[in-house]
Amino acid sequence: MEPSGVQVKKAARFDSLPMIRFFGHILTSLGSKVLIALSGLGLAGFVVFHMLGNLQVFEGQDALNAYAAFLRDMPMALWSARVALLAIVGLHIGLSVRLAIQNRRARPAGYVVHHYRRASLASRTMALTGSLLVLFIVFHLVHLTAGWLDPEFHNRVDLRGQRDVFGNIVHAFQNPLLVAIYLAGQAVLGLHLSHALSSSLQTLGLEHPMLDRLFRGAGPLVALLVVVGNVAIILAIAFGLVHA
Amino acid sequence: MTFTLKIWRQNGPADKGRLVTYQVRDISPSMSFIEMLDVVNQQLTLKGEEPLAFEYDCREGICGSCSLVIDGVPHGPDRGTVCQLYMRRFPDGATITIEPWRAKAFPIIKDLVVDRSAFDRIMQAGGYISVNTGGAVDGNVLLIGKDQAETAMDAASCISCGACVAACKNASAMLFVAAKVSHLALLPQGQPERTKRAKAMVAAMDREGFGSCGNQYECEAVCPKSISVRFIAKLNREFLRATIEEPSPLAEQPADPHDESH
Ligand code: HEM
Ligand code: FES
Repeated sequence: MEPSGVQVKKAARFDSLPMIRFFGHILTSLGSKVLIALSGLGLAGFVVFHMLGNLQVFEGQDALNAYAAFLRDMPMALWSARVALLAIVGLHIGLSVRLAIQNRRARPAGYVVHHYRRASLASRTMALTGSLLVLFIVFHLVHLTAGWLDPEFHNRVDLRGQRDVFGNIVHAFQNPLLVAIYLAGQAVLGLHLSHALSSSLQTLGLEHPMLDRLFRGAGPLVALLVVVGNVAIILAIAFGLVHA
Repeated sequence: MTFTLKIWRQNGPADKGRLVTYQVRDISPSMSFIEMLDVVNQQLTLKGEEPLAFEYDCREGICGSCSLVIDGVPHGPDRGTVCQLYMRRFPDGATITIEPWRAKAFPIIKDLVVDRSAFDRIMQAGGYISVNTGGAVDGNVLLIGKDQAETAMDAASCISCGACVAACKNASAMLFVAAKVSHLALLPQGQPERTKRAKAMVAAMDREGFGSCGNQYECEAVCPKSISVRFIAKLNREFLRATIEEPSPLAEQPADPHDESH
């Protein structure tokens, strides 16, 4: 108990400040989990709306380009949303990396033989799928938000003088390599979300004898909807169902 | 029955440890796993070798002492304790790997024995209630609803064996702490310390070096007392409630250095 005694004393100097005490709780493993769950739910909400917005590809060039222009015509809202998303992503990644490191430290010597009885594939690969998601998101931003891969195509305009987002993605998914990268990205996103959503409900303390099956099914269901929506767009273009 | 056993041998905390293979013969199918290990130890003693160190006490599934990871699963293939696992559960001639609980917070003392005093320190941090001294209170002065009592009892059936920690990828003690916090939070006797308890026990759990919960529910799958992971959600609620219900003193007061809830 010696070392803990020392810690308690060090912390005691700040104890009279409720604010610091509050952050002390947040930085416990449980507090961090709650913040990871809340930020993750925020990101999941974004991912769902992002997918729904993109489904306008199926309404044709005018609809999608008008939607993109509508978003870009509100620079304050757009940039606030971007900054907020970035902060949420930063919080989510920062805290989850910190927890993942603590978790690895909690078992310095592993088992020679180990069998899982229950844990799903998705739940066992959260750190891996999370890290791959970072790579995918960066690639996606570079590709379609910044347009660095194909600057010439990125800045084209349609007949109404709006940026031709539609033409841009139709062009992108003609390329089998890009199709493969985006499909892989969706697989990774689906895995991460399928465990994450149900898990976050448990982390936030939601549990009820009658609703447990709903809670446990919600993650895989929402993940499936997001992936199906996004993959539909990619494949519809790749197979020429949606074309310029 | 005959078995090939691969058993973790480690002379002490500083030793590196390794799996050593032993053959056992003439094992009765109705022997418990612990009795089978007694036979191994008899053989070792006769040969003049150092016997295996492993833990057991009640041999009836209630003390939580026995603690072996058998073929990669804490307490072995069934969802009971090792002492209630019988050799007929294994096919004749099987190879069985036996390891200790593995967690930073449960350092190995020798062979298959680990130091689980981290659990005691978590209990000391908040797993207690205040009672008045003096004459005993009448039995039914405090009325407790039947459902409430049953749920509290479900949580209280935890025998602190640590299989949840052993099974968890993150060596998290959440199921244990959840059982203890829920048990006391569900009963009127546990109310005075309720807010402090959740915070103090979570802080103690972190301090001991257990990991955090990934909601994989491996712990529930191996718990010999079938403690539900619903109690983990309850612990999460208790912790949130306690954090929000931060008491703000009306007058500034010096912090108590022995208070673990901060
Ligand atoms: C679209 C982006 C993302 C969404 C929607 C999302 C969603 C979530 C949610 C809801 C949780 C909560 C799980 C819980 O409470 O246990 C979670 C956990 C986690 N996320 Fe994400 N996340 C995203 C991106 C990332 C990224 C980029 C990383 C990068 C490292 C990451 C790493 C993790 C980790 C390590 C966990 C903890 C898993 C565990 O509890 O074992 N996530 N995620
Ligand atoms: S020896 Fe007591 S529970 Fe197994």
